[in-house]
Amino acid sequence: MFRKVLVANRGEIAVRVIRTLREMGIGSVAVFSDADRTSLHVRMADEAEHIGPSPSSESYLRIDRIIDAARRHGAEAIHPGYGFLSENADFAAACEDAGIVFIGPSAESIRSMGSKTAARRTAIAGDAPVVPGTSNSATLEEVGAFAAEHGYPVLLKAVAGGGGKGMRRVDREAELESAYRNASSEAERAFRNAELYVEKLIEHGRHIEIQVLGDRHGNMVHLGERECSIQRRHQKVIEECPSPLIAQYPEMREAMGAAAVRAARAAGYYNAGTIEFLVDQDRRFYFLEMNTRLQVEHPITELVTGFDLVRLQVEIAAGGRLPFAQEQVRWSGSAIECRIYAEDPYNNFLPYPGKLTRLTRPLGPGVRLDGCVYDGWTVPMEYDPLLAKLVAWAGTRQQAIDRMIRALREYDVGGIRTNISFFRQILEDPVFRAGCLHTGFIDEFFARTAAPAPPPELATVAALTAAIHATAQTAAQAPAASPTSRWLDAGRNEMLR
Amino acid sequence: MKLSLTLNGGAEGQIEILSPAPECRFRLGDGPERAAQVEIPEPCVYSVLMDGRSYEARVEEHPGMLVVVIDGYRFEVDVRDPRRLRRGAGGRGADGVQTISAPMPGKVVRVLVAPGDAVEAGQGLLVVEAMKMQNELKAQRAGKVLTVSTREGATVTPGEILATIE
Repeated sequence: MFRKVLVANRGEIAVRVIRTLREMGIGSVAVFSDADRTSLHVRMADEAEHIGPSPSSESYLRIDRIIDAARRHGAEAIHPGYGFLSENADFAAACEDAGIVFIGPSAESIRSMGSKTAARRTAIAGDAPVVPGTSNSATLEEVGAFAAEHGYPVLLKAVAGGGGKGMRRVDREAELESAYRNASSEAERAFRNAELYVEKLIEHGRHIEIQVLGDRHGNMVHLGERECSIQRRHQKVIEECPSPLIAQYPEMREAMGAAAVRAARAAGYYNAGTIEFLVDQDRRFYFLEMNTRLQVEHPITELVTGFDLVRLQVEIAAGGRLPFAQEQVRWSGSAIECRIYAEDPYNNFLPYPGKLTRLTRPLGPGVRLDGCVYDGWTVPMEYDPLLAKLVAWAGTRQQAIDRMIRALREYDVGGIRTNISFFRQILEDPVFRAGCLHTGFIDEFFARTAAPAPPPELATVAALTAAIHATAQTAAQAPAASPTSRWLDAGRNEMLR
Repeated sequence: MKLSLTLNGGAEGQIEILSPAPECRFRLGDGPERAAQVEIPEPCVYSVLMDGRSYEARVEEHPGMLVVVIDGYRFEVDVRDPRRLRRGAGGRGADGVQTISAPMPGKVVRVLVAPGDAVEAGQGLLVVEAMKMQNELKAQRAGKVLTVSTREGATVTPGEILATIE
């Protein structure tokens, strides 16, 4: 087993990986940019190295600096987390060349599955159903021709994409040019690759993905599905296991699991990976892409199956065999995850970086919080605004939802805006609770639901609290300004009574 | 002590604090006198017991207002002491002038128009990026660009005026 592992990431996932490394008795090395000197992953790690200025292109995306840091600290392996270099085949190859183990699949597997268009070609070759689209990057003219042939709406996607970056829905020709320009520029900034391709948009589809796990000895299993249909800006915000659809049609888990294992095997895959499927209203599933890394939402699979995916990733990378067979995988209860972002859900989900002035974390039965924030931390402007992942587990889906609502009520983050209260609103929604999910759920939800009106008593308490707070501030400031003003205030108080 | 306040930009109302915390008595507008037991267990956190119910209110101080969060609900409260000078109301732009302001803290990555340009409704004017997310700010209606008060690469704060359109 490794003695020391470098974590080539930041934020909650770096903290998540460091936790398991510590449980395994493995030393951890954090890397950080200028913006992250006081971030939690640096504070938690055993060792840490500065790798450059705040923009990720000059730090977390710098392969040379990360390999140098690993060498200097004597790390035998690198865990890439998700995002940044996690699906970069050149990085996996550079690790190998430097004699450092990349905790993930081979560079070849990443090449055949990492790029969305290459993955489409692999899936087509493997006779897996794919959504109609271009199998190569497309120019603006080619996208226009595709849309003219298949009809709007279409979806522009970054060839190197992930996390919804560089993705745009286009409903009519007039929007195409501006959408193409913005998506391409966003892709360039996020992935250093401005190439786009286009797919026909399947309306009211569900996003259901399968977790696969394979070792380097030819063994591969699936760990069931995660339903990730609740998305904003094409980015998942609520995920569940089991999927309410699959709970209703259990045979789908086997069918999709088997298809996912076949696709992964076709790419010669090992370590943890995820095959994403789009499921239409007739329950047909289409291969969307493969994520050749650990997913953000992996904790729900961990809670339902009882496995630590990061531990398994490390063991597999160190040459170990899968410690269980497919028949030994059991799914128990129901887990749900909410991604807590620094953003304003009632203002188009605009990011809201800033300083946290207050933090109360939810605790109690069945609650897991994978986060990277602390009271007084400033959420940097340069990176994804994910603050934490709140996960609840319970025996049934309804109980897991109720537990999540309870945990969200305990969760208080001050100074910045978050989507915490928005999640409560969704989880209380009867359509959500009935399990009728699709990727357009949030847009539709906003169209049929007004922002929640607070109970009238809360307005009274707010007015009272604000008045007390304002007068306390005045009283506290007054003596410094003038020794007589307290008397004046008291006199005014008397007169105004 | 009598204070004027507005809640979430609504109509102005009055609150009269008849006796201070912890054994607080108060009156809202012309309503009846009410009692609340108020403690401050942590800085800026108010535990309020009122009519047998327990509330926890958290206060944030923002420029020009207080934000009170209770059970996930957010109240923006502007408290004014009527005896003190009122803050001057912000100058409203002349009719027909649209102001394009930054909706969030971030960085201007592209300026797509220059003063004097004619723009269509819905046309992109600037692109602001925060946390890798790019947002195109668009013209609400057609007109002529009067000013562009930022440049590519500039860091902006919420509410900062970036351009005006006539």
